[in-house]
Amino acid sequence: MARYGIVVDVEKCTGCHSCFLACKDEYIGNDYYPTSAAQPNEGHKWIQLKEVEHGTGTKIKVDYIPVMCQHCVNPHCITSNNADAVYRRSDGIVIIDPKKAIGRKDIVNACPYGAIFWNEEKSIPQKCTLCVHMLDNGEKTVRCAECCPTGALVFGDLDDADSEISKLLVAKADKVKSFKSELGTRPSTKYIGIPKPFIAGEVILSDRQCDCVKGAKVTLKANGEDKVIEVQTDFFGDFEFKGLARNTDYTIKAEYEGYYPIELTVRTHASQNVGELVLKAK
Amino acid sequence: MGYDNVVTTTAWSPGPGCHGGCGVKLYIKNGKVVKVEGDENHPFSQGRACPRLLALTQYMYHPDRITYPLKRVGARGEGKFERITWDEALDTVEEKFSNIKAEYGPESVLFCQGTGRDIGGPISFLAYSYGSPNWIQLGLAGHSCYTPRLGAMMATHGDYAVLDAGQFSEKRYADPEYEVPKVIIIWGQNPMPGCPDGFFGHWIVDCMKRGSKLIVVDPRWTWFASRSEKFLQIRPGTDGALAMGMINVIISEDLYDQEFVKNWTEGFDDLKRRAAEYPPQKVAAITWIPEADIIAAARLYASAKPAAIQWGVPIDKCPEGSTVAQAIAHLWCLTGNLDVPGGNVIARPAYGVTTYPFSTQEMHELYGEEFVRRLNEKRIGAKEFAMVRNFRGWAQPDLAVKQMLTGDPYPIKACWIQTSNVLGGQAADTALHYEALKKMEFVVVADLFHNPTTMAVADIVLPVASIAEKESFRSWWVPLQVIVPAVEVGECRSDWEINLELAKRFNPELAKRYGSVKDLINDRLKPCGLTYDELKAQGGWIMPPENSASRPYRRYEKGLLRPDGKPGFRTPTGKVEFASKSYEEWGLDSLPYYSEPPESEVRTPEVYKKYPLVMVTGRRSSVYFHSEHRMIPWLRECDPYPIVEIHPSVAEQVGIDDGEWVVIENDRGSIKRKAKVTPIVHPKVISVPHGWWLPEEDGCEPNLFGIWDINCNKLVHIGPGAKSGYGGGAYKTALVRVKKANGAVE
Repeated sequence: MARYGIVVDVEKCTGCHSCFLACKDEYIGNDYYPTSAAQPNEGHKWIQLKEVEHGTGTKIKVDYIPVMCQHCVNPHCITSNNADAVYRRSDGIVIIDPKKAIGRKDIVNACPYGAIFWNEEKSIPQKCTLCVHMLDNGEKTVRCAECCPTGALVFGDLDDADSEISKLLVAKADKVKSFKSELGTRPSTKYIGIPKPFIAGEVILSDRQCDCVKGAKVTLKANGEDKVIEVQTDFFGDFEFKGLARNTDYTIKAEYEGYYPIELTVRTHASQNVGELVLKAK
Repeated sequence: MGYDNVVTTTAWSPGPGCHGGCGVKLYIKNGKVVKVEGDENHPFSQGRACPRLLALTQYMYHPDRITYPLKRVGARGEGKFERITWDEALDTVEEKFSNIKAEYGPESVLFCQGTGRDIGGPISFLAYSYGSPNWIQLGLAGHSCYTPRLGAMMATHGDYAVLDAGQFSEKRYADPEYEVPKVIIIWGQNPMPGCPDGFFGHWIVDCMKRGSKLIVVDPRWTWFASRSEKFLQIRPGTDGALAMGMINVIISEDLYDQEFVKNWTEGFDDLKRRAAEYPPQKVAAITWIPEADIIAAARLYASAKPAAIQWGVPIDKCPEGSTVAQAIAHLWCLTGNLDVPGGNVIARPAYGVTTYPFSTQEMHELYGEEFVRRLNEKRIGAKEFAMVRNFRGWAQPDLAVKQMLTGDPYPIKACWIQTSNVLGGQAADTALHYEALKKMEFVVVADLFHNPTTMAVADIVLPVASIAEKESFRSWWVPLQVIVPAVEVGECRSDWEINLELAKRFNPELAKRYGSVKDLINDRLKPCGLTYDELKAQGGWIMPPENSASRPYRRYEKGLLRPDGKPGFRTPTGKVEFASKSYEEWGLDSLPYYSEPPESEVRTPEVYKKYPLVMVTGRRSSVYFHSEHRMIPWLRECDPYPIVEIHPSVAEQVGIDDGEWVVIENDRGSIKRKAKVTPIVHPKVISVPHGWWLPEEDGCEPNLFGIWDINCNKLVHIGPGAKSGYGGGAYKTALVRVKKANGAVE
């Protein structure tokens, strides 16, 4: 039995909105009973882009994160008193029955991801169906993933070890995250590279300020931990530590032979640009 | 949902609006397009589409779309139009234009277009058949869009060049001859949302996936900038200094390609002397880019083989845009990256097929030297600017608007405006253009929707077909491809149909040559040896043949570029000219140099004191093409407000919050925008998206869909800012200040 899901490779999402448009094109004006009624002309974002701009000054990152129904294994939208209106199919797709859910506005608020929208005219809660009408019709993909121009959305069978999606999840296992996993929802939608705080900066030598310093050693250590991460400055004298924990104190040390090292402590309440670290000649 | 049939065609202009090239599948049911997808078998876009293409059905069948000809019945600006027949519309235009020609001469009519889409062919055929030399991008200060770059490339190496993403081969990245650029400099562009100048933005992403490293030059952090090796956050308008600084480093550190420079170039010593005037330290002070980063960027670019530059319209908008472009073109020549795999390859349209005459050279071939000479006598700007006279055959927009107002040296009486929303779009100094257009005796607008320009000045409005409704072809580099009509909407006609019909009325000779649009297309297609129907039948597109002038690589070695068949380039010396003989002939400095923006902290410190922020306009949106698409609901939802991007430090200083409406002003006026407080802009720069008007608002005067409140071009002065007549439109360098808006403006 297939178990369908989508992997979002955030690093590849350029924020073009094509997924949003393809979703509109598929669902506006088109009923697909018994799994979905037509999406209203405006206001619904069954897939939406969250824009994230983080960092400061000369170290900034611009990311876009598509967010849609997470098709959770433990969906919060299914409760003991609405089990008739919302159900999870054996292939993992969570469906709000467009007829049985009439009048059930409470279902909108049950979703911790904000992925369910209220259709005022039809008085029903609606969301991404993972294009189940296409899949049930024998199609092998879904509209948003099909039209994604960079391959940031990958659809497939999570139970098939040979599927592209499964291979991707294995290849990037260390970067795979679920949204709000602490809620125990166990989403079938997975994210690779959800932006986490970074610390970045630049190493400069006091007596060679017009040269970028390639190969200076920079280390990072979370306070209270033993693990030390070491990087070297790149061609432009820049360094960066990605994927750090939030609200943690880190000690950074920059070193270059023949120069006095610099050490400083930074707290990751957000991504941090420590700016230019100017090492004095010995 | 079932479909009756699927039509494969090419995207170009009305619909997605853009410079096109993508393969498209139109799903048809009951004579209507019901769904649009990218064509996975097409080598240009390989199945990819964009939001504007995906929203095509909303655009085509929009309730506000103009679907039959209109004539104005009230006063201009009252918004009162009445349906008329095509016969009445064309008869009216023919009569009015003929009367103007008889009384004032054909040069008294301007033929105005917007950005270079598929309009060049239809509008130039019409203008020249009528006899007017004044084919023009009215409002575009300094004609600052691609023309300065094209002129610089033609002067430097006798051809145009583009970043090589394997687009000239149907095998693309898998072509055994192809190499991915090791380093790409994206210079003043966000290629993905805009897909500019026949270049599909996603190709850069394709290259990144295959290992290309980026250097990005921009005042604003883009998605590409935040994935680059180095982001050079430049002071707007100073790109010329950066290019000269990089040339300085590359020459002084011997990083240039000695073999290529020795064998294939002229004027190296002159360039070396000129570049010596731009040491990195001096350039750092001009550009706001740290000295060390300028040096390292030059080293990284010059030492990577191959490396390529993808450049954008801000280069044209620099003061003396054609000399800034010259300096950047010198970078790929100095480093031996010209016409090599993964470098900047010479770009000629496949088989040499063009939709219209592009250079003076081609003009001579099509219309004869005598006709071109006569055109040059009367063309606006041809006397003042030798480059305008000798390159591309456009009238100069800044002189034209002045002449519309003064009537000097001859009166301008009418405008034919097609694919251009002058007042809601490209016109710098909107009020000046409004005043000038109001003086016209007769204005025709051919478009798909009402906009501020139709409402303010149109006497006749002609309904234009979208890409899904027209028979046409596209020849912008590669591939050579057909545009196939799938359906009809109302009485809309294609630009080709409208213009050929009128052109034949003015020029009976033309009627003998071309009975139909297809006759004309077949004539243009001749060099490829196929007719429109044959090309369509064999899949709709073809790539240039191997070992031909329109297919890379290293054609200068094979003697494929010059008319005499000798190795070398199509320049006066046959070499790449670092010191340009053409520029010299046109009375310009033969070498590149830096020129300070007309308004800046350096040139006008007193203005800067009052207006301390540099306004860059024109950042691209993935859902809009310039002034189009604000009425398309699906697209508007993605980018709903006319915003201004403001750095948090500026917002704090001025006391404004994210989402608050603010006033942006200078001595030329003020506009309102919704603040987006973001670290992606430089603290001394604000970014103001252009092309905004509000289709949901009252279109009648005085409101004109809100342009006087939100159109940023009100704050930009006209040019020409450049000695060549090309370049220097100050769309990226106007100085402004920002303050809180009093009262609600929503």
